[in-house]
Amino acid sequence: MNFEIISPTTTDELLVAIEKCQNRHFRFGAGCTDLLMELKKNPADDLTVINLAQVVDDRLTNLTKTSKLYRLGSMFTAGRIVVNDELKTHFPVLHESAHNLASTQIRQVATVGGNLCTASPSGDIACALVALGARCEMLNTNGKSRSVAVTDFFTGPRKTVLKSNEVLYGISVPLNNKETAKIYSRFIKIGTRRSMECSVVSLACHIQTDAKGVILAAGVAIGASAPTIRLAKDACSSLIGKTFKKITRKEKEEFAATVLSYASPITDIRATAWYRKEVLFNISKSIFE
Amino acid sequence: MKKELKVIGQPIPKQDANIRASGKAIYGHDIVLPGMLYGAILRTEHPSAIIESIDVSEALKLPGVVCVITADDVDVNNIGYKRDHPILKKGEACCTRDELAAVAAETKAIARQALKLIKVKYKVRKGVYDAFEALEDSAPQINQFITGKFENKNIAEKFQYGHGNLEEEKKRSRHIISRRFTLPRMTHACMATSNITASYNNLDKKLLLYSSTQVPFLYQRDMAHALKINPSDIRVIQPVIGGGFGSKLDMHPFEPICALLSMKTGRPVQIIYSREEEFIASPIRQPMIIDLTAGVDKDGHFTFREINIIKDNGAYTSWGATTPFVIMQSFSSLYKVKACSFNAMAVYTNNVFAGSFRGYGNPQATFALERVIDLLADELGMDKAGIRLLNANEKGEITGQGLHYDTCGHKECLETVIEKSNYFNHKTSGKNDRYKRGIGLASMLHVGGGAKIYRSDGCGTTLKIDPYGYCTIITGSNEIGQGSETVLAMMAAEELGIELKKIKVINTDTDVKPWDVGVHASRTSFVAGNSLLGAIRLLKEKLNSKAAQLLNIKDADFEYADNKLISGKSGERIALDKVVREMHFSEPNELAIASFFYEPSSKFQDKEFKGNVSGTYAFAAQSIEVEVDTYTGNVQVLDIYVAQDVGKVLNPLLLGGQIEGGIMQGVGYALSEELLMHEGRILNPNFHNYKMLTASDTPEIHFYPVETHDKEGPYGAKGVGEAPLIPTAAAIANAVCNALGLEMLELPITPEKVLKALDDKKKRKK
Ligand SMILES: Cc1cc2nc3c(=O)[nH]c(=O)nc-3n(C[C@H](O)[C@H](O)[C@H](O)COP(=O)(O)OP(=O)(O)OC[C@H]3O[C@@H](n4cnc5c(N)ncnc54)[C@H](O)[C@@H]3O)c2cc1C
Repeated sequence: MNFEIISPTTTDELLVAIEKCQNRHFRFGAGCTDLLMELKKNPADDLTVINLAQVVDDRLTNLTKTSKLYRLGSMFTAGRIVVNDELKTHFPVLHESAHNLASTQIRQVATVGGNLCTASPSGDIACALVALGARCEMLNTNGKSRSVAVTDFFTGPRKTVLKSNEVLYGISVPLNNKETAKIYSRFIKIGTRRSMECSVVSLACHIQTDAKGVILAAGVAIGASAPTIRLAKDACSSLIGKTFKKITRKEKEEFAATVLSYASPITDIRATAWYRKEVLFNISKSIFE
Repeated sequence: MKKELKVIGQPIPKQDANIRASGKAIYGHDIVLPGMLYGAILRTEHPSAIIESIDVSEALKLPGVVCVITADDVDVNNIGYKRDHPILKKGEACCTRDELAAVAAETKAIARQALKLIKVKYKVRKGVYDAFEALEDSAPQINQFITGKFENKNIAEKFQYGHGNLEEEKKRSRHIISRRFTLPRMTHACMATSNITASYNNLDKKLLLYSSTQVPFLYQRDMAHALKINPSDIRVIQPVIGGGFGSKLDMHPFEPICALLSMKTGRPVQIIYSREEEFIASPIRQPMIIDLTAGVDKDGHFTFREINIIKDNGAYTSWGATTPFVIMQSFSSLYKVKACSFNAMAVYTNNVFAGSFRGYGNPQATFALERVIDLLADELGMDKAGIRLLNANEKGEITGQGLHYDTCGHKECLETVIEKSNYFNHKTSGKNDRYKRGIGLASMLHVGGGAKIYRSDGCGTTLKIDPYGYCTIITGSNEIGQGSETVLAMMAAEELGIELKKIKVINTDTDVKPWDVGVHASRTSFVAGNSLLGAIRLLKEKLNSKAAQLLNIKDADFEYADNKLISGKSGERIALDKVVREMHFSEPNELAIASFFYEPSSKFQDKEFKGNVSGTYAFAAQSIEVEVDTYTGNVQVLDIYVAQDVGKVLNPLLLGGQIEGGIMQGVGYALSEELLMHEGRILNPNFHNYKMLTASDTPEIHFYPVETHDKEGPYGAKGVGEAPLIPTAAAIANAVCNALGLEMLELPITPEKVLKALDDKKKRKK
């Protein structure tokens, strides 16, 4: 494997580097935990890697908060999510998804941006971000930015809406509802081992209730169950207005069946489609137990 | 008189822990010799194919390529336990590992590039990937080198054993249970990938090998046979070894290939496997189908066991084919049983071949046996602990197979784990209906004092004390990470009264060290320990008489402590180094050196596989609690209680390491590890999909050593290395079945299999 590396140190340099690479075969490298594996599998000799790790730019690497949202730079690492108390308090699903990713070592370099841009159906942080209704902010070589909902960011396995002259700049997560009194927010990851595991099935849920326990907002996303991570929209909306604690067994099962309707899993060496469906149904129910 | 032990029994860290932890250890991967070339191997693209031609001309033209060999370029013998394995394959490929050509080049990258330039013309044929199919008349002959000894062309090896009156015991049985068990392929997944550096000197025709073999002297012989040279012209040096677990018992083709490349080029050559290659081309635990029928009388005594085993041998025969030696021991002699009839055969297929793996067939046997014991107890309405205690082995017992249990901690091990795990009062439910808890018991029997499967199961030691009072132990045995160097040094420290830091262990060079059969069968501390103690005895005789002379006393009865010899009677003392100097530099001008060869009292088994094959036997029991998630099928192992008859604890720290490491291998075997194959190809040759468990999956392990003080063992110790892994999968399976009220007949018990079993149960109910 032989490739050239460009290591810009400012965002301007980064944009220039992207511009320069427009007629070349190039890839971004963030934590490189996915990239290296991929290059090992499909070595390319004429490749340029634009290394994002040396760019000094708060908006690329840090966490900021406004009155409406939290914004994570795309280079924010899983490890930093894990140790951030604010994120843990407001978005347990995000915390758990990062905490269950790979291993302590890998989490120190693996980035949110990398998790999204890899566009793996089993991306854990990406799955949590879909449930949270997050948006991706992309910057192009003209310095212009645009944003799309994470749900719409993925167009297929390993495919995103990113254009060749764009880089993922940041991800914004809307603050919880003002009236929210309690959140039921979890990331459920199914696999054989407790670490170094890729989700066989995953389910991210972020449900907000008012003081009486009435559901105000709900985000439920499923991973490793379809060509892309999917937001189970109808399942989410079916919950609005219901009292979380009073959801009946029948409602639970209907909810689980609705979630399942978003799944079209495959059989591979890690699990059969039968297993993935069975488990997805069960864990969907388990949210209310 | 029982001497108080000062060093033995202490938790002394592994002597090489510092170099290992600091990265200073020199593994085979770190070796660089002047002028060294890098070797790489071209393997077949198809597990079963006719090789019509191999064209290496383009590869040879690549700058930096020094040598390319195929079967046509070498004059060698087949390798393997049955000599049915060509080093380089000619004419046909019989399994996905098959080596077709090898390259030596100036760099690794060039060597790899050269492989791509070799053109092979294949005629793909239908392979046989199922052992039962291979036994059918219509199946082709898979291995062309077999002797035709057996009734079917695809039988590689057969074992038959029996004792007692089977028919009578069947008649006497109140209940009889028959089950078929299926055991998977598991791989060692050593941290260090396979490696070798060969350096042939074409002036004196001597071959130097840096190899991580577990059995250097057998290896030297096998290598010599393969290459048609003299064994003594081969010098084997072992660098630090990053994991053995049995995988390095066989010599594998890449090793003579590396030697051949060096012989052809006259330059040193190194071959190092990539991780993927390691998964594909290093050995595995033998997969097998075990049909077990067993009976019990009305009081719960075991009556008989009837066993038929079909082992998937793969395309070539390795030591793995001989695992029935050990398997039959468990069936014939674990718990008392009146009659046993055992049949096992290894059948050629186009799958990858197995090798030896910690436990040597015993985890497979123990899984089947202990599962059936649970079922027999259920049939009888007897409790599962009670039936085991009733039938447990005892001290003084001579089993149907002729194993002599001079010491036996079987019952004590069972009692210990039953009590400590609160077996009779364990929780049956988890935090809600979704989670089910269960507990399972299993025990095991394994050789604990070597295993006489070769003409000698012995080990030699040469012991030297230098004029500065330092001691060098030159031992035939070797270190593969298990800590034998440390234990040997501790024995010398104990006996000679010198500090550990003054003791060196030399064990890596066949030109220097005396014979030993190798690291296997949990034998090293036992056999090498006894050998060392013998050498110490001899050396002390010399030192004692010199010291007595120097002190002018008659009585040569000395104690050794604080680097001194202390007279037992008068209390007079003299420094050890001084005695050695006086021995060397004045009359009788003799070296402070002694050599000893220890051969265990064990016997070679007769043709019927009867006889006392080991110096002593180890026993263990485990009680394991699990919680099963009925939503996902995940099995969480909560607590593992393990009691093991170790004879005597030589070093609790190292013993604990063996127990924990072994158990985690056992948990992996039970729940997650399987090399998946489809039509002869390995589907998961990586850590991503080969599910080896991690530190975060480790349950609580509660270990209770049981000391039975075997008179044969050094300080009473028995072998411990393999035992901890052996009953683990069986106990976990029993616990899962206990939790869910269903049967698991197959390992590993993956979440999917659990959920499927629950689903089937639900459907049956409806
Ligand atoms: C052993 C191991 C275990 C793993 N376990 C998990 C797991 O449990 N859960 C999980 O979700 N993932 C897992 N992964 C995958 C991986 O670690 C994560 O997806 C991680 O978040 C990727 O981040 P990265 O910074 O390393 O991405 P990189 O490898 O640097 O990049 C990934 C892809 O995204 C592109 N990219 C990166 N940043 C940007 C950007 N800002 N703009 C545009 N494109 C960009 C790259 O070009 C590349 O194609 C594992 C990987 C390994 C090796």
